[in-house]
Amino acid sequence: MSVDNERWERMKKTAQVHLAMEARETLTRMEDSFSNGPGAMQYFYDLHRASYCDGTPLRTAGKTIGTLCVQVPEELIYAAGAVPLRLCSGAYAFDQIGADFLPAKSCPLIKATLGMLHIGPPAFAGSLSLIVNPSTCDQKKKAGEMLEDFGYPVYHLEMPPAKASEEARVYWRQSIKKFSRVLEKTTGQRITEKRLADAIARVRSAQTAYRRLRDFMKSATPPIRGTDVMVVTNAYFFDDIGKWTGAVNALCNELESRTGTGASATLRHAPRILFTGSPPVFPNLKLPLLIEESGGIIVADEVCSASRLLNDMVAFDEPHLYDMIPAVADRYLKPCTCPVFTSSEDRKRKLVEQAQSFDADGVVYQSFAGCMPYELEQRLVGKHLAEAEIPMLSIETDYSPDDAGQLATRVEAFMESLKGRARRKANDEVRMMK
Amino acid sequence: MKYFAGIDIGSTAIKIVLVDENERIEAHQVSATGSHFHRNTVEALGRLIEQTGFSRGDIAYITSTGYGRKLFKEADESVSEITANGAGAGAGRVSGEVRTIINIGGQDSKVILLDRDGHIKNFVMNDKCAAGTGRFLEMTARNLGMEVEDLGALHHKAQAPLTINSTCTVFAESEIISQLAHGHNREEIIAGVHYSIARRIVRLAKRVGIEDTVFFDGGPALNAGMVSALEDELMRKVVVPELPQLTTARGAALLARSAWIGTGEQVNV
Amino acid sequence: MTRLRQFLNNGDVSRFRLFFQIAAFGFLIYGGLLAIDLGNTVPAFSCVFADSRAGACYLFPLQHQVNMPWKQFLGGRGIGLYVGIGAFVLFFILFNKAWCGFACPLGALQDWITKLRMKIGMRYSLYAESTFRKLKSIKYLLLALLILLPLGIANSLFGLPKLPHDLATSYCMICPGRTILPLFTGDVSHLAVDFSSKTMTVLTGLGMAVTGLFLVGAFVKKRFFCLFCPMSALQYVFSKAALLRLTKNGAKCTRCGNCYRVCDVGITEIADDVTSKNIVKDDCMMCFKCVAACPEGKCLSVTFLGLPLYDSTQEGFAKRMEGRDVRG
Repeated sequence: MSVDNERWERMKKTAQVHLAMEARETLTRMEDSFSNGPGAMQYFYDLHRASYCDGTPLRTAGKTIGTLCVQVPEELIYAAGAVPLRLCSGAYAFDQIGADFLPAKSCPLIKATLGMLHIGPPAFAGSLSLIVNPSTCDQKKKAGEMLEDFGYPVYHLEMPPAKASEEARVYWRQSIKKFSRVLEKTTGQRITEKRLADAIARVRSAQTAYRRLRDFMKSATPPIRGTDVMVVTNAYFFDDIGKWTGAVNALCNELESRTGTGASATLRHAPRILFTGSPPVFPNLKLPLLIEESGGIIVADEVCSASRLLNDMVAFDEPHLYDMIPAVADRYLKPCTCPVFTSSEDRKRKLVEQAQSFDADGVVYQSFAGCMPYELEQRLVGKHLAEAEIPMLSIETDYSPDDAGQLATRVEAFMESLKGRARRKANDEVRMMK
Repeated sequence: MKYFAGIDIGSTAIKIVLVDENERIEAHQVSATGSHFHRNTVEALGRLIEQTGFSRGDIAYITSTGYGRKLFKEADESVSEITANGAGAGAGRVSGEVRTIINIGGQDSKVILLDRDGHIKNFVMNDKCAAGTGRFLEMTARNLGMEVEDLGALHHKAQAPLTINSTCTVFAESEIISQLAHGHNREEIIAGVHYSIARRIVRLAKRVGIEDTVFFDGGPALNAGMVSALEDELMRKVVVPELPQLTTARGAALLARSAWIGTGEQVNV
Repeated sequence: MTRLRQFLNNGDVSRFRLFFQIAAFGFLIYGGLLAIDLGNTVPAFSCVFADSRAGACYLFPLQHQVNMPWKQFLGGRGIGLYVGIGAFVLFFILFNKAWCGFACPLGALQDWITKLRMKIGMRYSLYAESTFRKLKSIKYLLLALLILLPLGIANSLFGLPKLPHDLATSYCMICPGRTILPLFTGDVSHLAVDFSSKTMTVLTGLGMAVTGLFLVGAFVKKRFFCLFCPMSALQYVFSKAALLRLTKNGAKCTRCGNCYRVCDVGITEIADDVTSKNIVKDDCMMCFKCVAACPEGKCLSVTFLGLPLYDSTQEGFAKRMEGRDVRG
């Protein structure tokens, strides 16, 4: 009916306008506040501007396969001749659309992702040949079913709820094997050893570039902000992998040339923060931006929109598919620190290790309202961090901008207490030396 | 002698405290925030200085805190209310004593946990909902045709407190009106409101843990009934300072003094 | 990090090991032609039955040496046994279980059979974890038997009559080293059943079966025999004292499982154990493929007398993976 159609078109247009506004605000905040930042970051800001504000379509030759969650093996998608596109959305504009048909208490990331897909795939993505939905948390599982209802072709990638047992690992390998067949059918291209080795190599180059960038944050005077690193990893969701890798390496080269010149992204004695929890997806960088605007600097993260996306590398022993495909499968299960698994031990260990290697003063733990896995793990993780004497601030929030003032108070109080702690530690050291 | 000002710009009231170099409170003032809080703060500070007979130059350092702290550009520094409240509760100077601070403000409430050395270990805030804050008391007083300051006196006259079921201040208002209509007396309602707030605070506090000694500050701490209800719900005595509505401002003033002295050792956050 | 260490850490230990194994094989099997004699306590299957060997596998002399009456354990012959154990331990602790991974001729053979399988693109087999756990005890059983049987020949054990002399080197009779390694010196005589007595018929018949199992097993499973190897069991007893070590820094481990993935033997603990520092388990043959496959810096390390020889590094990992040759 034409009235409905008109409504529909208006809704899409309004959502697009809201999205552009949010994206512009986040970008402006970031660009304006780091005036002598590295020029190479402009590539990433412009990419986001083009995609989120202008809806400029990405030029992808071949099919696009949407992914929800970080456990979908990209290497297989590339080997089958398609391009992966991570669909998780960080837009409040879409969150509000999703709120129309999802329960009020559900996770904002689900609301936003489903809201976005309700009105069509992202403007810059073109059409989706398939959406792959791993069975991770409850809400993602049901989201997959709802997407089918919307008319998308969805593949439910079965993932085990545990990852340490032999049964779980065998189950996952079988699940991935089946998935590789589905991919081949979708794209019409066989996954051969050469193509898979190339895909693994391409992803590995991207991962190496990411690690190179990340390692700059170990410095006592980080040359770039944590929010910038998040913008870079967010670009990985949708940018061409070759271009992305080149841009990250260019950024790293520029940062290298700046070390020793004293150019730092932050003031000295800025509290160094390890950020973990529900993923901050562009444009919802609300909490990370707040942390850095309150004088802190995010030196490391443990979220699936940043480090978890790019950290672990595939290794295979024999150059044949019977070894390479299970190798790819293993990489996506075994080191995965998503809270949907039965044990949080690896996540706890990783947080402590990251806090130590990056010399973090404290941890900020974000959980989205309605995200049960992260909220439940907060206590377990918090206890472990307390035993390691690492202070942690827990923040529950969602995508709405209303709570910025309240969050600011909490974040500032945390920064102040970290500064005080650092000062006391320094005083104690001076006193001990006397 | 130099003086240091702590200005707590809250949503309802502006509280200013002046301390001298020996940490003694020289002067203090509470005034309404109103809608133009920046202008009102500047005026309030001016009035206080006039009152004391000092000149502006005698005030060596100003630290602002509270909701409006960032916009009060005349301050030398701003700190969060949590840090200021911790400082004001005597953190670091009464070490080993105060471990939990409960603050009920005009429209928020917080619980701050201190470690053995008086430094802030953890904190939790309720700033999403007016229930459990001074707002609830204001609404109650308004509906009973009284002043907020007079609520405390009637608390102990109640035979038994009435249970207020609504979790929301707005709906609780309807509940109170309906109870009045049913002939329940004011004393019972007031006591019920106090217990409702106290119960909510204890629920909040449990998220960080409650340890002796508990320190209760904020405007509602002047209300004897509120103190009594809180002690009942916490199942322990609480310490209420002499001027509880000024604790945060006093903390800010002490921090101003430390910042000016610049030893670093005295900064107790 | 010095340039030398960077060079070492970027190295492809598997290529190095391939060449080392060829050299070691040649040395151990043919070294005798150059009159090289390492003695009788070699901690690898340098089989006595290969005439031109450079030294003898310790299991053969061990079985002979324990074949004596109890009271001789305190006499001259006993000293011979103890000196033998001492020499074995000294040889062993130099390189720990890397004897298995780098020097053992039977090990090298299995690796070459594996390469053949890879060339024809056939997939390997894996044990289920419960099967693995049950099978690995067999090597301790074989070690126990190879000591108890000769003891039982010279003495009456557990009230049983003394065992027949044919059981003197019963392990060697069933060991695939005896049948296969002499073939490399042109000696086919051991690839047969010895009908001279009932005991010998059974033993050598079993030996033929084991040989067949060895060849088929090695084809289907990487380092098939090593799970059952009594030499491995004997070595492990002394492994903690060794100078060459494989250590793990558990805090850095992300449990990605790459190490376990490439492990020929299939040891899960390399990945899953994040508390132990010394990560050499009884089945480990210290081939260091795990170190080569680890992408986290300094998570797995090979040290000699505490000095780092080979560390896992991200750069080394990436270089090695780049260098893989994958056909279409």
